[in-house]
Amino acid sequence: MRWVLLGLAAAGALGAAVVLGPAAIPLAELGTSPIVRDLRLPRALLAFLVGGALATAGTGLQGLLRNPLADPFLLGLSGGAGLGVVLAIALGWGGPWGLPVAAFAGAMGAMVLVYRLGLVSGGALDPRTMLLAGVAVGAFAAAVTTAIVSLAEASQLRNAFLWLWGGLSGASWQTVAVLAVYAPVPLAVLAAAARPLDLLALGEEPARYLGADVERVKRRVYLAASLLTAAAVAVSGVIGFVGLLVPHLARLVWGHRHGALLPAAFVGGGTLLTLADTLARTVVAPRELPVGIVTALVGVPVFALLLRRWGAP
Amino acid sequence: MILDVRDVTYRYPGAARDALAGVSLALDPGEFVAVLGPNGSGKTTLLRIALGAVRPAAGEALVGDRRAHDWEPQALARAVGVVPQREESAFPLRVRDAVLLGRYPHLSPWAPAGAADYAAVERALRACDALPLADRWLATLSGGEYQRVRLARALAQEPRLLVLDEPTASLDLRHEMELFERTRLLAVPEGLAVLVITHHVNLATRFADRVLLLHDGRPAAQGRPGDVLTRGTVERVFDWPVAIAQFDGAPQIVPLRRPLEVR
Amino acid sequence: MLVGLALLACGRGATGRPAALAVTDDAGRRVNLVAPAARVVSLAPSLTELLFALGAGPQVVGRTTWCRYPAAAAAVPDVGDGLSPNLEAVAARRPDLVLLYHSPLNETTAAQLERLGIATVLLRQDRHADVARHARLLGVLTGHPGAGDSIGRVLDSVVAAAAPPARVRVAIVVWDAPPTVIGAGSYLDELVTLAGGANVFHDLAAASATVSLETIVHRDPGVIAILPDADAVMPPAWARRPEWRAVRAVRAGRFLVLPAELFGRPSPRAPEAVLELRRLLARETTP
Repeated sequence: MRWVLLGLAAAGALGAAVVLGPAAIPLAELGTSPIVRDLRLPRALLAFLVGGALATAGTGLQGLLRNPLADPFLLGLSGGAGLGVVLAIALGWGGPWGLPVAAFAGAMGAMVLVYRLGLVSGGALDPRTMLLAGVAVGAFAAAVTTAIVSLAEASQLRNAFLWLWGGLSGASWQTVAVLAVYAPVPLAVLAAAARPLDLLALGEEPARYLGADVERVKRRVYLAASLLTAAAVAVSGVIGFVGLLVPHLARLVWGHRHGALLPAAFVGGGTLLTLADTLARTVVAPRELPVGIVTALVGVPVFALLLRRWGAP
Repeated sequence: MILDVRDVTYRYPGAARDALAGVSLALDPGEFVAVLGPNGSGKTTLLRIALGAVRPAAGEALVGDRRAHDWEPQALARAVGVVPQREESAFPLRVRDAVLLGRYPHLSPWAPAGAADYAAVERALRACDALPLADRWLATLSGGEYQRVRLARALAQEPRLLVLDEPTASLDLRHEMELFERTRLLAVPEGLAVLVITHHVNLATRFADRVLLLHDGRPAAQGRPGDVLTRGTVERVFDWPVAIAQFDGAPQIVPLRRPLEVR
Repeated sequence: MLVGLALLACGRGATGRPAALAVTDDAGRRVNLVAPAARVVSLAPSLTELLFALGAGPQVVGRTTWCRYPAAAAAVPDVGDGLSPNLEAVAARRPDLVLLYHSPLNETTAAQLERLGIATVLLRQDRHADVARHARLLGVLTGHPGAGDSIGRVLDSVVAAAAPPARVRVAIVVWDAPPTVIGAGSYLDELVTLAGGANVFHDLAAASATVSLETIVHRDPGVIAILPDADAVMPPAWARRPEWRAVRAVRAGRFLVLPAELFGRPSPRAPEAVLELRRLLARETTP
């Protein structure tokens, strides 16, 4: 029953994203309108994929770090992406895909650095060390970014920050295709880690005694979650709250078993971001709000409502 | 033989001396064995070696027919059920779901838990007198209740060897006794082998068939409690004067008083 | 916003006491000078340009790194950035007047300079009327009231001029991701209207705003105006992105390049800018 409702919500969100927009397009023309075909439809799909990716990555990381406050950007990926983007603008790297590629590369750099720093003796990943490393790497990247911005001509780089604050304006069939081809692999890795993540919640030692290959699971979950997050940042900048809130919303309704939680988070995150993006495009039309603001404004009250109804045990 | 640890030696990286040297331990189905010794005597290290978490520098540890570290993790979890010393769930769980985690070693990756798994959970809960707790949240349980749930989870694994690591650490008298009674009850008729690592010497001597007493990583003595726990051995290992009393056919250590040296 | 001024055009009066110069800046602060400023540091390129246009070039003793117009400005010592100024470098020039871009951060900076005994003025130029007002204000403060008045009158007449019938629909795009366009609050919008164009985003009150790409497609401008850097490649890289190609003008490569020199900020050369833009728009035959 919950799944049916979720599916309906997802379909509704996607429908609204196609039908609604600042350019008033009559229903009859939806099928033939180039705006719908070339802009709204890919944008709706991209929002769904990005929201789903962030929510799933957030769920995985919360399980890996055994911390309900973990979010995909906690481990320095947003800082790395920001540094990549600012460097690309300052050094004039370019081409039409310069910024997304630079953001992805920056995020990957941060991922590798946090991974190395998170290894303790014996080649094991330690979640607490990773958390500290993530905060440190993020702060360092942010500092270097600010230094570059303050030394260079301000206007172009202020625009870089606009991009980083998140938005789906870059959506096209090409970006949808790239994400659609890329995302299934890390998503599948996370899905396969569902049971070990349940075990990991008990602690590493108990998880090992219950048959989890703890080191392998930690590595895979970290890499998969980071890859999903890096791809999301590359196509849409840093969109907060989705990766943090949606896993909790999903837990309130589906419990803690990752087998159900991961798919629910994916669809839920996709629905939330698609709705948020539609609002971002229509609320102050023809102007557009950064979608990260809308996700916060929409997500937090919904979360508060669910908390009251279902309660946090 | 379920567990056969042969003459193992291990030193932690960067340590000055061996954590274990020349220790052997073997268990057969139906046996109840306790590993005793003061802090730092190597009890936890022995457990890690026995379960393949670390590799010994010398000697080997066999579980069933294979070396402990050759076992694939899920298969090992089907053979050995461990009640760990420390555990804290990061997310809230209900008792029934916590015990169901014990069935994971039996589940194939993509198939959900089936009727047989739920039945095993019921049996385990019943054996530990934890059925009334089944729908409670873990965080609301007392120490003794949580311990029973963890024991049930280990039993739900349907292992051949049950290992309890310092199980009485935070239990009161009643729950300590109940725990040992219960595990003894499970071991003997069901043919489960039980290995208990514990501080609580006096309880161990009353319930165990055999004990292994460790001292500084070396085996001080191994055998029937009455044979192992003699006054000379105990005073040497625990470095404190004692008297040995007999109760219920088992030796009971009574520590004597000794004035502290004042400098 | 009003400019109050008390001025004795012919130097000192019979009493021998110097006249007081009093103006109100864009932050609503009253600025008083005993005599025209002899050492001025300008922390905004548009204000530097204005000072030189007033004939106050010799009085300028400090400029920002980005003040590159007119050429004579290069000879003035560089005191660093204008948006977050280096107080020490500014004070080292021993100015008696500092011109700052009006922003909340600079209000603090101005207060700090005032504590050092330096008079400060906070000014911000979004539209030509602002430049007219500032020309008069700075004319008073630097002792060139006549020049200030004359520049002010030129700009007033530019603003008051009747706009020709709009023949070309324009969208002025300043950034691609997210799409950011110029609205009615900007001097660029004024220039477009005066040059015979219609800014399709004239209904936006702000100087610039982020809009949905689909709005740009829907409003279908005939040409896209951009202000690229001097060495930027044309057409811009983002024109090749698939989502931008939904815009007809982008597909057709209808770009209008507005050189930053003339169009980068509102300046006294507005009449020149209008003429140039008129010429560029005349080349576009499709409305």
